[in-house]
Amino acid sequence: MTVPVQFYLLLSAVVFCTGLFGILVRRNALIFLMSVELMLNAGNINLVAFSHYYGNLTGQVFALFTMALAAAEVAIGIGIILVLYRNFEDIDVTKATTMRW
Amino acid sequence: MAAVSLPAWAALAPMAVFALTALVLFVYDAVEPESHNSALLAGISLVGSLLALGITGWYLVAGTGQPRRNGAIELFGGNLVVDGMSLFFTALIASVVTLVVLASYDYLQGHDYQAEFYSLAMLAATGMAMMSTANSLATAFVSLELASLPSYALVAYLKHNRGSVEAGLKYFLVGALSSAIFAYGISLVYAATGSLQFDAVAGAIADTSLVGVLGLGVVMVIGGFAFKTASVPFHFWAPEAYEGAVAPISGFLSSASKAAGFVLAFRVFLTAFPIDVIGAVDWVVAFQVLAVATMTVGNFAALKQEKVKRMLAYSSVGHAGYVLIALAALTDGANHSFVLGSGMAHLLVYAFMNTGAFLFIALAEHWEVGRTFEDFNGLATEAPFACAAMSVFLFSLAGLPLGGGFFSKFYLLMASINGGVAILAAALIVNSAVSLYYYSRVVKAMWIEEPNGDLEIESYPTGLYAAIAIAAVMTVLLLPAFGPVAETANMAAEMLV
Repeated sequence: MTVPVQFYLLLSAVVFCTGLFGILVRRNALIFLMSVELMLNAGNINLVAFSHYYGNLTGQVFALFTMALAAAEVAIGIGIILVLYRNFEDIDVTKATTMRW
Repeated sequence: MAAVSLPAWAALAPMAVFALTALVLFVYDAVEPESHNSALLAGISLVGSLLALGITGWYLVAGTGQPRRNGAIELFGGNLVVDGMSLFFTALIASVVTLVVLASYDYLQGHDYQAEFYSLAMLAATGMAMMSTANSLATAFVSLELASLPSYALVAYLKHNRGSVEAGLKYFLVGALSSAIFAYGISLVYAATGSLQFDAVAGAIADTSLVGVLGLGVVMVIGGFAFKTASVPFHFWAPEAYEGAVAPISGFLSSASKAAGFVLAFRVFLTAFPIDVIGAVDWVVAFQVLAVATMTVGNFAALKQEKVKRMLAYSSVGHAGYVLIALAALTDGANHSFVLGSGMAHLLVYAFMNTGAFLFIALAEHWEVGRTFEDFNGLATEAPFACAAMSVFLFSLAGLPLGGGFFSKFYLLMASINGGVAILAAALIVNSAVSLYYYSRVVKAMWIEEPNGDLEIESYPTGLYAAIAIAAVMTVLLLPAFGPVAETANMAAEMLV
């Protein structure tokens, strides 16, 4: 018995929206990073599920690329959050407001 | 007929040169971590970017990847493609990098981590050049990240400066969010079509059963491009990032990075989602809304600014709106290659005039004269040459016939009329008139106002001056030379439509 491919779409949409919700309501920069990671992995679920559905490997291989890029993005993000903490003594993303329009 | 024919992969030589330059700088930094030999570091970067520019120019002249030789060169199973458009944009990016490196030599005097600065700039340039060749959603995403990740670090380069760190944080937050949205959009397009390569996507679009999924995917992909090109609704990072970053990097991001985002958008929407095949989303209408919104938001926000750098940042958002006309005017009756070519030509002219304007800000920061309009009062009495160049940049940005900006805006106007979209033409004219006001405020401050008290300039840095002079000469030269540029752009665009 196999799971119909639509259910994967539903799962990935739920994971994506969880991540988006986290970004919109949480103010901690580290939680922000985790939420972005959730959103990227929602994309990976689609890629892997439909790779199986279509019977080609394109999606699976691209999912590997996405994971590597997500790791690189976190590495840069942690660096920026570190200097943020050193300059503002906090990692609340709403505290850094020296510039205003 | 050339005596020697190069292998196909040699078409990627400009990107290889950028990447290699970055690695050479890394190796030098690993061997001599304490070195403060900024002349050598800037020299290596300058040689690298000039070499990349030279190779690209040679390919453009020799006709590599263009119809008069053997047509577009497809590499790695059609995942990368080198054609007229990719060479046009690689030349643009290489020119901007050259100017930025030249200016950074003086600007970075006394700063640490210079090797990292230059190598990150080179890596970002590699990513941007790859974006212009990407021909599959996979390479598009990877190259977009390769361009973005070094940019985040470059914006936060002054790590003890609160403004720079804040700018880096905001750029990173919006960037990470929009790249996640972009990745999810790609996965939905893959779900609907079963492929990532542009031509294969276009082939599978017509008979997909998941039309809604595809439509959502296309909208999310538009979101990814809106971030990279600083268009509404993902433009919030732009004023912060450009204001907080060191000025040469602001110029780099607002010119080269924007151009790279646009070339990718052109290719994706014309090759992968052709408007006559894709019924799910009428993206032309979506881009019409985005273009008008971006122009208006950018220009009217620029009106209210007190700081010159922030004004330029908003003006750069406005210019993204002008270039969006190239996608928004692609209606049924339009001459597609002309519309697209006008956008490309405007990006090239914009690259020189906008980088030049930001480099003048770099010069002002180097002199420490301050950031507001009032601080620029009477600057022309001390530095007439630089102020004359800045006036050329600003008037050209506004669209007066002092530089190539006049013709490129005129072509965009013709393009929106050609596409039969009156609202775009009206928005372009109104916004250009608005922009003339805030650009001339700077010119008035520099030439007419009296200097306030102790305005004294001690140094006239050679590198910065040279970069500004080159940008000014190119901006002015593009006025008489606009014909051939537009023709090259049209020819490059013709291969896509």
